[in-house]
Amino acid sequence: MPIVTIDGRQIEVEPGTSVIQAADQLGVEIPRFCYHPDLEPEGNCRMCLVEVDGFPKPVVACATPVVDGMVVKTPHTSPVASRAVRGVLEFLLVNHPIDCPICDKAGECSLQDFYMHPDYGQHRSHVDSKEKVHKAKRVDLGPRIVLDAERCVMCSRCVRFSENVTGYAELQFIRRGNHVELVSFEEQALQDPYAGNFADICPVGALLSRDFRFKRRVWKLDYTSSICAGCSTGCNLRIDHYDGHIERLIPRRNPDVNRSWLCDEGRLSYKQLAMAPRVTHPEQDGEKALWVKVTAAADERLRAATLGKGLPLAALASASATNETLWLFRRYVEAAFPRHLLEFRLAQETEAVRERQDKLLRRIDKHPNTMGALHLGYTAGMGLEGLAREAEAGRLGALLMLYYPPLVGEESEETKDRIRRLLELAQESVLLTTHHLPYLAGAKILLPVAAWSEEEGTYTNYRGTVQHANGAVGSPSAARPAAEVLGDLMRQATYGRPETEPGRVFAEIAEKVPAFRGLRYKELASRLATAYPPEGRMPYGKDGFTGH
Amino acid sequence: MAKTASRVIDVRAEAERKSAGLRSTTGTLAGLEVTLRNMVRPQHVTIQYPEQRKAYSRRFRGVHVLTLREDGSLKCTACYLCETVCPAQCISIDAKDVDDPRIEKAPSRYEIDLARCIFCGFCVEACPEEALIMSREYDLAVTARDPETLTYGIEDFTERPQIAFYGAGFRPHPEYPLVESYVPGERDGTPER
Repeated sequence: MPIVTIDGRQIEVEPGTSVIQAADQLGVEIPRFCYHPDLEPEGNCRMCLVEVDGFPKPVVACATPVVDGMVVKTPHTSPVASRAVRGVLEFLLVNHPIDCPICDKAGECSLQDFYMHPDYGQHRSHVDSKEKVHKAKRVDLGPRIVLDAERCVMCSRCVRFSENVTGYAELQFIRRGNHVELVSFEEQALQDPYAGNFADICPVGALLSRDFRFKRRVWKLDYTSSICAGCSTGCNLRIDHYDGHIERLIPRRNPDVNRSWLCDEGRLSYKQLAMAPRVTHPEQDGEKALWVKVTAAADERLRAATLGKGLPLAALASASATNETLWLFRRYVEAAFPRHLLEFRLAQETEAVRERQDKLLRRIDKHPNTMGALHLGYTAGMGLEGLAREAEAGRLGALLMLYYPPLVGEESEETKDRIRRLLELAQESVLLTTHHLPYLAGAKILLPVAAWSEEEGTYTNYRGTVQHANGAVGSPSAARPAAEVLGDLMRQATYGRPETEPGRVFAEIAEKVPAFRGLRYKELASRLATAYPPEGRMPYGKDGFTGH
Repeated sequence: MAKTASRVIDVRAEAERKSAGLRSTTGTLAGLEVTLRNMVRPQHVTIQYPEQRKAYSRRFRGVHVLTLREDGSLKCTACYLCETVCPAQCISIDAKDVDDPRIEKAPSRYEIDLARCIFCGFCVEACPEEALIMSREYDLAVTARDPETLTYGIEDFTERPQIAFYGAGFRPHPEYPLVESYVPGERDGTPER
């Protein structure tokens, strides 16, 4: 395998690796605009010029494959490369408005970072600022993206993404030279269901997310690594929040799951959390109750309605719950109710766990943890319809249900009806849920639980990859993580003293469930999706931001 | 270095000599003289506030003013620099789109919690557009401890009659004149009376 020396440091890389990839592996920073690890290299921005021994001129690091014994000098060490990059930067800034104070990209903008860099930034422009060519500002590109053509540096990342990744091919450059401008096809709104990614991959503030525009300066945000709960793909994402409010979701790079992309539905799934008023306090027969009393009552009433009458308990858990919650749910049901029907599918149409919705990321199954539920011994038995029939025939004692409304799309009318009917028919029902929804009104005892983004845990995606999500924001009022609530229910009649802390629960799962064998919670939690650029190396970005 | 001639002083003896005898008596008389003079010809240190007011420096840091363009729109571009620099974290801004295609954004909400504000003037110094300056208004006493009463919004910062009354205060570039339309009523800077 070829050995390459970059800035005096040696690394052995796979044949065919480009110089910029080798530098990323080494942690040597090479400035770039058009290069993106999940797009084909194009070499048009000329920002990654490096000096290579034996080459007459600087070459672009992104499109130059390494050969054995190559000696590369980056702008940090080579005056030749530094001078070249400085020239490129000056050229790119000729028509750039440099309106950083009012640009939403400021703070995470490559151009801004490079311009301020001591080794190749901070030049004096040869062109008077009055001679700048002005282009269209604030071009409406549909519901997701707003274009500021002036700020564009023509790196063509968006054009290539649109052509090669999603295939919609809606963006193109028109005109030439000073007047080159990015436009959408026939200046129409973008149709791409992955349009939100344009704002992430744009290295400058040209393509901006309409949702995040003007919302918050990026340096105010707190970052939390999480997993998208929109479908069974389990895309790695970062929750950007401020003052307990989620401001945006952006992808984290994980080459094995979502590369650097995220679909628009997933990106906006956090808005669904405000779909209905949250359940803030436990409710017993329609009245507010205290946690201490309500857990005891829930357990007692469930047992009285099942064990007392010799009837089974219907236990329904949503596949949107974390593995830890599902495990405790099952443990509680098995320990307390010898006769039970343990189910997890709330809708029969979600049977296709692995089925794709499109060729990129989206999947039919809108539950993030269907595979986890299957691994944890949940079955798709008689379904909601079957349970309702049982209840109607009086063969069901009580219903225990853990329900999270979907974050992408809405539950079908059919499913809503079935849930409503089941809750009405059940003699006794305990519902753990997040939102006050009309079809959930029939529950006798209502326990508020933390929604996605509010609790820590693991999700198993369609391929069986177990991924860890952190809690980013707090739950409203008295809502608590479902695992804690289930732990309390178990303690009521001393079915055991279960651990409810996600790490400990996971250790138990890993010990007892074959699909989780060998997995360690700490490793999952620290396995942040591969950061791009390599974390902590570049002067910008925290926590694996993929936008550059 | 040449040694300079020096006289040795017994500090203690000197002090005793100076405060001794007649001098201590005259000192008391001198004090009494001030008292007597003020008895005969009083000089007011206090003024009859609020009927009388003092003129403060042009650099006085009072309640903020949002300046306007000639067409009456806010100069503020909602860049959040003031919000970012504010050590008391009392500024909160929301931005909106405007019709003018040359303007990226304008504040839809601009609030300063003056109860929290420490009047350091960092926000004014951070402003790249001189969209935020300070006035010489200083009386902010309120009778209720309601957080709303001292949270001022866009209208308070542009249209309150007090702004014209007190005049402009601290701004980073006082060498440039304020356009008449910036601050209503601002002329030579010194408030009457």
